[in-house]
Order: sequence, then structure tokens, then C-alpha cells
Amino acid sequence: MVASNNSNDDRDLVGRARRGDREAFTQLIVQYQVPLYNMALRMVGRPDDAADVAQEAFLRAWEKIRTLRDAPFKAWLFQIAANLCYDYFRRGRRYGVMPDEDMTSNVVGLGITTPDPQESAESNERTRLVRDCIQALDHDMRIAIILRDVNGMAYDEIAAVLRVPLGTVKSRIARARAQVQERLQEHPDFFPTREDAHAE
Amino acid sequence: MPSEPRVPAEPTLEELSAYLDHELDAATQARVAEHVAGCDECRARLDGLRETVTAIRAMPMETPPRTFTVPEQRRQAWRWAPAGWIGGAAVALLLIAVGIQNLHLPASSPTSSTTSGGLAQHNAFAPYGQVAPLDRSGQSVPSTVQRALSANSTTVVDPQNSSRSLAISTDATSYPASGVITVHVTTRGLSGAEASSVRVFLSRETAKGGYAVGLTPPSSASTYPFDWEASYSISQMRLPAPVAGSYSLQVTIDMSSHQSLTASLPLTITP
Repeated sequence: MVASNNSNDDRDLVGRARRGDREAFTQLIVQYQVPLYNMALRMVGRPDDAADVAQEAFLRAWEKIRTLRDAPFKAWLFQIAANLCYDYFRRGRRYGVMPDEDMTSNVVGLGITTPDPQESAESNERTRLVRDCIQALDHDMRIAIILRDVNGMAYDEIAAVLRVPLGTVKSRIARARAQVQERLQEHPDFFPTREDAHAE
Repeated sequence: MPSEPRVPAEPTLEELSAYLDHELDAATQARVAEHVAGCDECRARLDGLRETVTAIRAMPMETPPRTFTVPEQRRQAWRWAPAGWIGGAAVALLLIAVGIQNLHLPASSPTSSTTSGGLAQHNAFAPYGQVAPLDRSGQSVPSTVQRALSANSTTVVDPQNSSRSLAISTDATSYPASGVITVHVTTRGLSGAEASSVRVFLSRETAKGGYAVGLTPPSSASTYPFDWEASYSISQMRLPAPVAGSYSLQVTIDMSSHQSLTASLPLTITP
């Protein structure tokens, strides 16, 4: 799930968008809408709220793109969305509310063959547990691990998005992973450790 | 006196985590690798972190529940709630819509070289349930010709400007699951500068919330006013079973004024 480096492709589109070319900006939306939405979704939890965050991030980027000089568009866009996620919680919006299972499955299942029900149920439960563990992290660790393991960003990209030193990124990701691991191990049926596997 | 072989220092949690990401400098990466190779405890810690990362990365990437777009004119001031300007937001909430729908591009646009023009043809939409029209679609329909599409029709007039309207019709109200739906869309009083995008969906509400499949307008639908007809194979829509049921065909024209015109028609699909 590591993201490709689209900075070269972005440069031309960003240049055109800065001159007011809305179609160029629309191509940037197409390129980033899924990763940006998923970052927001894993941060705020609810699909509608995540879509609001993503939409607002694109709007602000469109309005401010003239101020973007040499910085990479991707990091800048995600920085806007990250700030919106901070605002979301500062303003006392719903915190840590899980997406409705039915809504999630409808979104994913659109036009796609339905997998085996039992496998699907187990997979959904694993996803739910991982999602809950990430949601339980504090904000700083959560966004760091999401940018790394959901969005596949490199550490220096994450440092640019969060405007923190590289060492801080490294530390937050490590601590976040350790906490998620600890919580997942409370569910050995879905996440058996190697010791569990050997014991069977 | 010869010294014993030195075991590299035990890596920290941060080093183990960054080791997985190949984010250590070469010397540290090698030191961690060497230590882990000879230390069961650290290897177990590393395996645990690796399995955690694998579990997180196994989470599916979700499809956005609605389209994202920006207005032609930039806003003058910030505001939080974006929903107000998204035309047809109430409709969008009912639809589990995907992708950017046919944002009209001039012929010089790089993406307009695709088969039927518009971003909806971009490969990125392939998994999202986009359905292209059949080959015979895209014929411009002379307004003077009375088509056999009056079986099911509706017209929506812009309440802000009665000279603007959107009319849609289909060639039937009921189709077999193996059938073809022919859609005719006409706009009046709308220029390309005023209309920013068109979205066409076949949607269905279910007890679990509903779903929608995006229908790509034909390439001829790149200029305003619209007057086009397109045919879509129901089997190509890969609708979730059971296919038979009540559906709604919805066409939304987003306008640069942040409003939208939406017209919908009920359709029935039989086994």
C-alpha cells in the first residue's frame, strides 16, 4: 500500500491549477480523493464526516493553491486535511464513533462480487478490531500511524505533513504500533501470536 | 587476550519499527539485522510489530461516499460546513456514489482522449461500478424528433431561474434483468460556464441503506445544452443480487453557483 511518488506529475497540474485551471485541479482531486478520504475516515471515524473533511480540504487547497510554491502538493494537501481533523475534534464533533457497518459494506461492495459470507464476516471483524485499536490511540500517534500504514507515506513526507522532526515521526509510529499490537493481542481468535500458534 | 565477538546493541522499539520501513541509515539497518538474527527475544518483538503492520495495511481502502468537486469561482472566506454548497447534498446522502462523474473537459485535455471523454472514463474508476454506455449511444437527438422515450419522463425547472430545466426520460418503466435501459437527457437554459458536472446514477434503496451505480454519459455530452441519448446494459452494471426490484434513475447537474438540478425517475427491474 505504499504510495507512488507523483510529485513530477503533480507539478504540471499544480502549475495549471495555480493559474486557475479547474480541470487540472480536478485531476488532482481524482488522484488524491481516495487516500485523502481514507486518512480522514481513519481519523474521524464516520464516513460522512470524513467526506466533509476531504471536501473541505480540497476546497481550501483550491482556494490557496496560488500560495503553494515549491512544497510538494501531496504533503501540503494532507497537511490541510490533518489540520481539519484537529479542528474536528477541537470543535467537539463526534469523537471515536465507529462507521456504521452497513454503510461501510455498502460503500465497498458497490458493483463488486460479494465474497464468502463467513470469510467476509471474519475479515470485517478483523478490520473492525484494527480500526478500534487505531481509534483508541491519541491524536498524534493516530495520525502518524495512519499516514504511514494506511497512506503509505515515507517518514520525511509525514514529517512535512505534521511539521515535526523526523525523530518525532519515528517515535510516534513506533509507539502507535506497539499500542495497537498490545490491543490486538487481546483478541487471539483473530490475531494469534506466534506463541498461540505453537501452543495449538 | 582476544575479545569475545561483540553482539550489536539491542535495538530500541523505534529502531525495530523503522527497520520494518527501511527508514534507518544503512549502518543502523545492518546493526539491527545482525542483532535480530542472533536474538530470539528481539526477533519475536520484530515479528509482532510486523504482524501488526500487516493487519493495519490489510484494512480495505474505502470508496468515498460522495463526489468531491470545487467551484469554478474560489470562495472569498473560509467556512467549515461544505455541505451547503454541494448541490443535491440530500440526494448525495441517499446515494452511495463514487468517483468524479464526467467533469466536462475540452478536447485538449489529456483525459479527454479516452474512449468517451470526461474523467469518468479514467482507469481509476474501473473498480467503482462505472458503467459505460453501449456503442450505439451518444447520438445527438434532434429536438424536433419525437423519440419513443416518453414512457417514463420528468422535467425539473430551476426554482431560481425558470428558464433553466433538466428533463430525463427512459424508453420504459420496467426492464428485464438482461435488458437495456435507454436514457434521454435534455437541458435548457444552461451554458457550459454555468454547469460544472453531470452525475448519472441508477440507485436502489435497501433495508441496509442502498447503493448506486454510476452511468457514464456518452462522449457527445460534453457541451451544453444537453440533448443526448445513451443505452446501458443492465447486466454490465453488475448489480448486487437480487437484481429484481425498484430503482431510481437520477441525473444531477452541478452548477457553478453551488446549486444543482436533480431529476429522478422510478424504474423497475424484473427477473
